[in-house]
Amino acid sequence: MTQPTLDPAVDYPLSVHRKDLLFTPTGKSIDQITLEAVVSGEVQATDLRITPDTLRLQAQVSEKAGRKQLGANLRRAAEMTAISDERVLQIYNALRPNASTKAELEAIAVELESEYDAVLLAELVREAAEVYERRDVLAESE
Amino acid sequence: MTVSTSAVDGQRTLSFSEVGPAERGKRPDEVVIAISPAFGSLFSQTIVDIPHAEVIRQMLAGIEEQEVSARIIRVQHSADLALMAHTAAKLSGSGIGIGILARGTAMIHQRDLPRLSSLELFPQCPLLTLETYRSIGSNAAQYAKGESPEPVPTLNDQMARPRWQAKAALLHLKETELVRKGAKTVEVTPQFSAAAV
Amino acid sequence: MTAEAIQKPVASGDDVRHSARTQILEDRPVNLDGFVEEWPEVGMVAMDSAFDPEPSVRVENGVIVEMDGVQRADFDFIDQFIADKAIDAATTEASMALSAQDIARMLVDPAVTRQEVIAVTNGLTPAKLLAVAKNLNIVEIMMGMQKMRARRTPANQGHCTSARDNPLQVACDAAEASIRGFSEVETTLGVVRYAPLVAMAQQIGSQVGTGGPLTQCALEEATELDLGMRGITGYAETISVYGTEPVFVDGDDTPWSKAFLAGAYASRGIKMRFTSGTGSEVQMGNAQGKSMLYLEIRCILIAKGAGVQGLQNGSISCIGVPGAVPAGIRAVAAENLIASSVDLECASGNDQSFSHSAMRRTARLMPQMMPGTDFVCSGYSTMPNYDNMFAGSNLESDDYDDFNTIQRDLQIDGGLRHVRESDILAVRTRAAHALQAVFRFLDLPPITDAEIDAAVYANGSKELLPRDVLEDLKGAQQVMDRNVTGLDLVKALEATGFTDIAENLLAVLRQRVSGDLLQTSAIMTKDLQPLSAVNDANDYAGPGTGYRPSGARWEEMKKLRHVTSASNPETEVE
Repeated sequence: MTQPTLDPAVDYPLSVHRKDLLFTPTGKSIDQITLEAVVSGEVQATDLRITPDTLRLQAQVSEKAGRKQLGANLRRAAEMTAISDERVLQIYNALRPNASTKAELEAIAVELESEYDAVLLAELVREAAEVYERRDVLAESE
Repeated sequence: MTVSTSAVDGQRTLSFSEVGPAERGKRPDEVVIAISPAFGSLFSQTIVDIPHAEVIRQMLAGIEEQEVSARIIRVQHSADLALMAHTAAKLSGSGIGIGILARGTAMIHQRDLPRLSSLELFPQCPLLTLETYRSIGSNAAQYAKGESPEPVPTLNDQMARPRWQAKAALLHLKETELVRKGAKTVEVTPQFSAAAV
Repeated sequence: MTAEAIQKPVASGDDVRHSARTQILEDRPVNLDGFVEEWPEVGMVAMDSAFDPEPSVRVENGVIVEMDGVQRADFDFIDQFIADKAIDAATTEASMALSAQDIARMLVDPAVTRQEVIAVTNGLTPAKLLAVAKNLNIVEIMMGMQKMRARRTPANQGHCTSARDNPLQVACDAAEASIRGFSEVETTLGVVRYAPLVAMAQQIGSQVGTGGPLTQCALEEATELDLGMRGITGYAETISVYGTEPVFVDGDDTPWSKAFLAGAYASRGIKMRFTSGTGSEVQMGNAQGKSMLYLEIRCILIAKGAGVQGLQNGSISCIGVPGAVPAGIRAVAAENLIASSVDLECASGNDQSFSHSAMRRTARLMPQMMPGTDFVCSGYSTMPNYDNMFAGSNLESDDYDDFNTIQRDLQIDGGLRHVRESDILAVRTRAAHALQAVFRFLDLPPITDAEIDAAVYANGSKELLPRDVLEDLKGAQQVMDRNVTGLDLVKALEATGFTDIAENLLAVLRQRVSGDLLQTSAIMTKDLQPLSAVNDANDYAGPGTGYRPSGARWEEMKKLRHVTSASNPETEVE
């Protein structure tokens, strides 16, 4: 989806002014998330998630308000929507001090790029690997 | 052997002698207690002046009355409670460990939990009494046996922080001065001696 | 200052004759508080240390190669994260060329806009921000805060916990917190394994009435994320960052792992902020000889660099440490201001017990309550402090009427309002019945009518009927094993006849799809609409401008428990 250009003064909150742009990962419109739909089972827990497109729209809103680091965080988050909860927690744990070798972190970076197209996240992981090595917070190699 | 919870029967002293490097235990009915660098060495009592000798006696008594055995290790490369307790848990044959700092803060840990989690945490060291330390020992032993004891009731004094936090910080600073990066964790045995009356 | 001083025994019963006045003063609560001498060598000093670095910066090819006296090759991981992510390399040399005093003046001067200040702070190093703060006295800090907080309308956050981890108590208190005006509520546990039930209870209780409050459960990082992903909590806050590398490592994280975690929350549409606070590094034994405020500023810039929308600070659980040294509470106010000045949402402390003295507790609160912050308290205890599992808050339920009175006295908006007892009992009752029904629906250990009666009319856990803890813990494990989610709570509420609560909860969960709550300082209003620094930007520009409590809100703030009626002085206003 090519991103529409937003004007935060008019379009935010998106849930009030731009519902036309908001969808669940399963393609439902945000308006379809009603109590009836929940009760009938039509809406499931997997619907209560944000899509990468929406995260990029919110990143736009942040950046237009001059919050570029928040925008960058939301863009990394957009990439992370593709990764399962379990894998996200594993990668987080792998980024903790003395948890991974440099090779393991590089492997994660490669996985992020090749399996998830997550170039921003891969960059974050590679940066971490470099600085962890310099600061001696990598795991001892087995 | 009955062990009373009164600290008045003579001023017992405590020292620890090193047995060797701390090893992984094989017996499933043991609890490992990790003491911090300054416990029973630079400091001999908790932040509220409870002698370490009595703390250890009560903890061991609590474990013993559950018919579980106990080992003590001294962590030398850190004064971080979670790391110490988790180290004890990982070395323990049952997977259950206790960590205790010189000022008295304690934790019961289990080897499969995340390091910063715990089975039971006792963060307010000024509130811990000999009875509590005995219960900590007893509960740890019950977890070691695969039981589910009622957690030791958590003590909560909201004025502990204003009263003690800065002093606890200073005590921790002194304890941290003893930390030696890379120093190995060792198994120790306690030596109790009654002071001459 | 040496070690020997600590070991000196307390002097007891001297033979000096004391005056009656001395005895009275000796017995004052303030003399139970802990005060220590400064020890700058180990960082036991608020903000005035000869060992803090001088501000400096050098940029080469768009990269910061020197910062506050340290060369890039010697940067620790905090320096590198800040230099590469928090500070704007394009503007830093120009911003750093301004004097600290000039920048301090910009903060205080109503004619300088918030945006103009941020354009400068974007390029400042930690040592420079410290130098700016050192130019500001407490009044000037408050003036700055008025302008620099991100959201125009101030709000408040409450703690909802129980000494017995009793979920019924938490549900009732969460409902009362909601009607009293809290926009966020936070819980934690004495026994971690109780978390699922208590978090559920808070989630349900907070949506009774008009709904809207966001809820969190403070736990170890990975567990907290898991609960958030399931929708049993609404946001996360206790994602801690630290100001020295060794302490960060002791906390089992790095700025990169925390930045990744921040992204993880956002990727599930969940709001979050980091937490930091003066005193944590010296308390954990590794301040590397730097002052508390200097280290806290490093934390603030870590948060900025990671791209999180906000920060909880104001010493937080370490408040006893700055509170023990001179100018500590001024430093605490300064750290809130600096967070706001780098365009972060600020949940500004007042959440941890810090003094036995009521006067001192109030004085500590004023620098946040008077100017207003995004969340005046990052944990007002909505139950008595003996039930507060964060080891006590600066403010507790006993203080509600005093707090509301101070709002009315000074015409300052601390986010709360007085509510009639009958209305409070009604929402507590509704929350209790809803929880009872949901527990029954989900096959969890039952809640009896007798328990409900006790909880609705209780002040704290001392008045409750105790529950079977072991059965509850089994139930809590069930909740995790069966993968119960926030949506299951919605369905359970609807199926058991609590449609209004179900709708409110669904409205909160639905925001995950929109991401509106990911923007800076976002809360939900009573009409269940997102309100943040984007659509409620702080426009303070001097006298007569910005947020001033007025209209319906001011009328609401005028109400107290006992106000004599003007039209009929023999009665009280309803």
